[in-house]
Amino acid sequence: MASGANDDSKESESSFECNICLDTAKDAVVSLCGHLFCWPCLHQWLETKPTRQVCPVCKAAISRDKVIPLYGRNSSRQDPRDKLPPRPPGQRSEPEPSSSTSFPAFGLGDGGFHMSFGIGAFPFGFFASTFNFGEGRPAPSPNSQDYAEDQFLSKLFLWVAIVFIFWLLIA
Amino acid sequence: MASMQKRLQKELIAIQKEPPPGVSVNPANIGPNLTQWIVDMEGASGTLYEGEHFQLSFKFSPKYPFDSPEVTFIGSNIPIHPHVYSNGHICLSILSEDWSPALSVISVCLSIISMLSSCKEKKRPPDNSLYVKTCSKNPKKTKWWYHDDNV
Repeated sequence: MASGANDDSKESESSFECNICLDTAKDAVVSLCGHLFCWPCLHQWLETKPTRQVCPVCKAAISRDKVIPLYGRNSSRQDPRDKLPPRPPGQRSEPEPSSSTSFPAFGLGDGGFHMSFGIGAFPFGFFASTFNFGEGRPAPSPNSQDYAEDQFLSKLFLWVAIVFIFWLLIA
Repeated sequence: MASMQKRLQKELIAIQKEPPPGVSVNPANIGPNLTQWIVDMEGASGTLYEGEHFQLSFKFSPKYPFDSPEVTFIGSNIPIHPHVYSNGHICLSILSEDWSPALSVISVCLSIISMLSSCKEKKRPPDNSLYVKTCSKNPKKTKWWYHDDNV
């Protein structure tokens, strides 16, 4: 680094400084390329660029497994890499209520059966029904539970329609 | 935030104690909480910029040193250089994608001095007028193309 010192006393002082915070390395780790960091500092850098993890000093490839923890005489025996710095908590805000959900889905089971049935000006558009032909959803395979349910609902609505028309005719 | 100010304090002491040649920092030009610095710079002797005086603005985000500082030339004299736009923006890879937290104000100043000193011909970047019209105020928002590594 460019901030190297000239005299020996400063040299020895700064030789155990973390290359990121420029302070004496705490929970020190050394990379295989020989550069010293505090583990919290290096960890934050590795998190900053998770896809391109390089040594801040020499840009050699680096990762959690390519650094060696340093244990001084009276330092804790715990691997500094197991102590992660406290991370800021995530923030989440509630989404804006969407105006597009104007009425609740007309759910009949969850078999994917959708049907709309409307009546226009009599007698035109008497059957403005939509029977979802040729839609993108895959049809339930025969013999499955869904298929039986679909068949049942088709028949049910057919009967509802017939009863409704009959009521219209006699009314 | 606190670690950022601690580091900037150390950098400020270092640059005042042992500034790179031609570089000086006036303490009056250090903004609130050390987040904005103005660094004075002299063109190196024996180069095209000899005798010229420039000012560099450094802005540090709370994520410094993990995030690069925003560095631009300011003031009345913007160096005429193929990598320096007339609005002061500098096309230098270490200021964006090649930034590393082991870099510092001193190393950025040295890189800029070296960039100026190796210049052979004083001219603006070829796309200067278009860039200056269309760019964001923050050079870090520019997606730089590093097309020329020689200067």
